[in-house]
Amino acid sequence: MWTRTVNGTALHFYLAGINNQNFLMRDQETGTWWQQITGKAIYGPMRGAALKLVPSDELSFGEWRAEFPSGQVLAPVAKYTKEYDPNWEPDVAKLPVVISFPGTELKSRDVVIGLTIGGSARAYPWETLAKQSPILDRVNGTPLLFVLGPDGKSFRVFVSLIDGHDAEFFLQTDAHSWILLDSLTNSQWNFQGCATSGLAKGRCLDRIPALKDYWFDWRNYHPETTIYKR
Amino acid sequence: MPQNQPEETGRPASGWLWTAFSVCAIGAIALFFIPAFIIRPFTHQTARGLLLAMAVRQRAPLGTLISGIACLALSLALWGTVGRWRKALLVLTLAVVAFSAVMSRLNYFEWMFHPIAGPQFIAQAESKLDSNEMIMSVRFGGDARAYPISQMAYHHVLNDVVGGVPIVATY
Repeated sequence: MWTRTVNGTALHFYLAGINNQNFLMRDQETGTWWQQITGKAIYGPMRGAALKLVPSDELSFGEWRAEFPSGQVLAPVAKYTKEYDPNWEPDVAKLPVVISFPGTELKSRDVVIGLTIGGSARAYPWETLAKQSPILDRVNGTPLLFVLGPDGKSFRVFVSLIDGHDAEFFLQTDAHSWILLDSLTNSQWNFQGCATSGLAKGRCLDRIPALKDYWFDWRNYHPETTIYKR
Repeated sequence: MPQNQPEETGRPASGWLWTAFSVCAIGAIALFFIPAFIIRPFTHQTARGLLLAMAVRQRAPLGTLISGIACLALSLALWGTVGRWRKALLVLTLAVVAFSAVMSRLNYFEWMFHPIAGPQFIAQAESKLDSNEMIMSVRFGGDARAYPISQMAYHHVLNDVVGGVPIVATY
């Protein structure tokens, strides 16, 4: 998700093609070609420009509904409802791939969470996250907290610093509650990364933008990426 | 002298017209088909191929117009000099040239995946989405929006304004 204001002009994008299973878009104003995953202008008058990433989440509707009670939902377009595929996840996973990276321990259609900090890219296999959440890691000196939400489907990545100090986080769950505890202040934190009780109450952790993607696509645009291992 | 007879001078002129017609017809057709062939789903695009496809596609609307008009003018000049079969060949070629000129102006990717012209939003209570369905979420100030992935996986691109900020949601 990107802001679409470049050099003071709000651009309007449309689907314009495909590049190794990642789509290309063009803007109506200049006709420039942009790569969807990178937000970069790859051909045309604005070549070299880059869109700014918008902080966004991939959440289950249930989680989102609870977090943003007054939020609005994109309405389905009646004309196209039969085109919407409720099984998009398994169906897309079955589509062929046109680039592959043999020799890496992941398969092309393995789902990863990818992030880049100070030029260092790392991919976190979804399966590992699902098994081990929360995950604590460090990329380019930044301590990170990966956590799967109470629904087991949503995820978020935070900087695991409280007042500039490294903190470890543990998950405490039962059928009715989902609480993160930190080692530094023993406060309770929710999935939004905010402390709800304890010494840190009222504070929120910084968020790190991360992309849920297929391994082949992430690897294609981040050739130097490392893969998280426990 | 035999070289000065009208039949002899007519032939080289007509030959030149045919060559020019072939060049502009191939040019017009290539302007559409080269990028269409390179940028097609489920095939590998090399960096150079992609660059060529974008460069050609960018120039195709004007290029097919100019070469299309040239083809038409040349075929009119040829029309009186040729027989029935060559007339049919001219018409057929002109049809493919016209097709290329039209297709260079149309975004057929949006025939496969229709865009949302004016996105409508509903309160979450009105939404029929299941709790387990995945959405993309964005928030600016007090404005929070959810874009269901089942819908975005079809439309792919959505221009929106959230909390006064123009954004493009992509999937």
